[in-house]
Amino acid sequence: MIRIVALRRAAAAGVCGAAAMEIFAFASVRAGLPAVDLIGELNSIFPDGSPLLANAAGLFVHLAVGVCWAVFYAFFFWGRFHLRPPLQGLLFAVLPCALAILVVYPELALIRAHAASVRIDVASFFAPLTVGTVASLVVSHALFGLTLGAIYRRPVGYSVGKKPSLPAPRINTASRTKRKENATGFMFATGIECSYPTIDNGRWRRDEMESTGHYQCWQQDLQLAREIGITHIRYGPPLHLIFAGPGRYCWDYADPQLEELREFGPEPIVDLCHFGVPTWLGNFQNPDITEALAEYAGAFAERYPWVRFYTPVNEMYVSARMSALDGLWNEQLRDEGAYARAAWNLARASIRMSEAILKRRNDAVFINSESSEFYQPCCPDPEITAIAEAANERRFLPLDLIFVHPLSERMHDLLCAQGISEDDISEIGRREVPRRSILGLDYYEWNERLIDRGGRARALGELFGWYVIADQYWQRYRRPMMHTETNRVDDDGAARWLWRQWHNVQLLAKSGVPLVGFTWYSLTDQVDWSIAMSEAVGLVYPVGLFDLNREPRIVGLAYKHLIDLYRDQPGYADCAALKEIMR
Amino acid sequence: MMAGFLRAHGYDPGPSQRPLLAGAISGIIGTVPAVAVLIALGSLNVEAEILQMSPLATLAAGCVAMAIAGAAYARFFGRAANAVKGGWLFGMSFGFALWATGAVLVLPVLSGGRAPAGMAAAGIALSLIIWGIATGILIPFVHRPLHESLDTASRRTAVGPDAAAAKRGPIREQRQGTRRA
Repeated sequence: MIRIVALRRAAAAGVCGAAAMEIFAFASVRAGLPAVDLIGELNSIFPDGSPLLANAAGLFVHLAVGVCWAVFYAFFFWGRFHLRPPLQGLLFAVLPCALAILVVYPELALIRAHAASVRIDVASFFAPLTVGTVASLVVSHALFGLTLGAIYRRPVGYSVGKKPSLPAPRINTASRTKRKENATGFMFATGIECSYPTIDNGRWRRDEMESTGHYQCWQQDLQLAREIGITHIRYGPPLHLIFAGPGRYCWDYADPQLEELREFGPEPIVDLCHFGVPTWLGNFQNPDITEALAEYAGAFAERYPWVRFYTPVNEMYVSARMSALDGLWNEQLRDEGAYARAAWNLARASIRMSEAILKRRNDAVFINSESSEFYQPCCPDPEITAIAEAANERRFLPLDLIFVHPLSERMHDLLCAQGISEDDISEIGRREVPRRSILGLDYYEWNERLIDRGGRARALGELFGWYVIADQYWQRYRRPMMHTETNRVDDDGAARWLWRQWHNVQLLAKSGVPLVGFTWYSLTDQVDWSIAMSEAVGLVYPVGLFDLNREPRIVGLAYKHLIDLYRDQPGYADCAALKEIMR
Repeated sequence: MMAGFLRAHGYDPGPSQRPLLAGAISGIIGTVPAVAVLIALGSLNVEAEILQMSPLATLAAGCVAMAIAGAAYARFFGRAANAVKGGWLFGMSFGFALWATGAVLVLPVLSGGRAPAGMAAAGIALSLIIWGIATGILIPFVHRPLHESLDTASRRTAVGPDAAAAKRGPIREQRQGTRRA
């Protein structure tokens, strides 16, 4: 699959577009203007039939052609240009219009001829075209395009008040083997992409599990993960659909998948909050999310007591930055203070969620995933250096809070400026971090950034590499670590990237850092991540181990190769760092 | 435009897939409904007459051409050709392109200016569109059993540790709020 298409919406847009053309043709004929009436043209092919039937057949054919063009538009054209949707449709209409003028209309004249074959040349082929017919074709196709573009938009996600269909029911098959317990083996992980932020000022919900078809294909997805040899899977049940209100849960969105994971694996690392909150909680600026999410975590741990690995809040820094600093998701603010509030709320939520889980399962393991980032000033300009320093301090704020690391003066003052009291900050700084806490570090090719002369952050690619960046985090927090996310576009050297990331992991482990796992994220391709999910376009981002047809990608084969090669090696079959955590 | 779009979206089938074979098989199977339309509308005889061949020879040549066309379709659309949801449309657009280039432009050139007309011309257009739809629908199902297994495909050298030293691609930036594919 190359793009997510809302087929029903596309069909409706095509029907309406073709209908607009027919209305134009009818009005033109009534006004005595030159017009190309496709129904009339099609009727004339069958002159002896019933006029009513012929008209109906002609209309049906035209509407069907409209639907086909609309679906074609949805697959290949929609969202390619940054124009208002009706103008995108208008631009697209050039294609069917050109084909109608150059091929279809002259060919229809041939079809109407009462002969089996004719002798033609260029002049006779195009003879049916007059200025009037060409003008009529151009105007009617313009109407088609405008109508199509106006109707077809936002093929992915849904209005915040709506809910997608429940996950497909679980089918029991005998061929699967039961989950093998290996509590101390190195974690070869992947994840199911599950982000659910809102966009459009809280009106539109992105839901990656819905966009990638996971709700319908979840059983196949988990089977594919097992076939590759995945031992652990980062799995985020949809918080926004499950947590309907205080004390109200709709576990139907998680029960079948969790039951399958419990029985057959891979071992889930449950991701409780992934870039969004339920509509009734608003957004990350709301301080009430702390207690609400703690309640949810407790309820989750009670319902699934066998789950041991948790990521309470995924990428707190990225959640806060994208929502409150970059203005893309949820609250969509662009304000340093709003960033600090979001980071504070999320960090407190993560802490309270861990506490709630530990009350139900005191041996729970927390993998606190965060984006590992680094900002490099391009030159010694004090202003540029200050921007880079601020960005570098900002990236540590949520982790400093949950891992009890002294805050930088700038971040401390920023929190105080948001009305967060010294007492609250010190209280967080005095607590004991749960012993089984792992620092998960995600790394992509845009995580190392250069602050250029204009003060903008630009992707540097792999300048220092995960080894160097992860070491900064190790030196700061001294916690066992896991590489919790990476990926790269499949035909852009994904296999190369996988192996190089793996060598980074090996080198860091060799230097004495306790490393417990590695993750290619995600199992399947993602949707709209090339534009940070900031718009509901439906672009497939081909970074999965499998594409959205669930066919293996090259990197999927490479990851299987890697797992097969290392899984049983000393140090991986029994990982000392994980053994230490689990004791 | 389409080729660029498909490439951007990771259409390369990878080493475990056999798009040419799947396309050729599907292309041949797709000729069955297409030939039925050609015969029903009298297009086969007209085509044979224009090409100055017997209907049987025309049919045989058509099967070979459609096998090649099916393979070309599967190679061009790559992973997109495996889409159950979109296959019919991709196939149909390919069938339409074949009609517009092959039947409308190339056939008259090959035959010194003679072109099918009337119901025969309609039959040719319809048959190629039906062939495209059938081929597009068939490929995902024909292709799946032809895939190399995960076990053997993952043992290939190209996906093994040597891949770390493969040629480097460009650095990609995650964009925010732009719609270009």
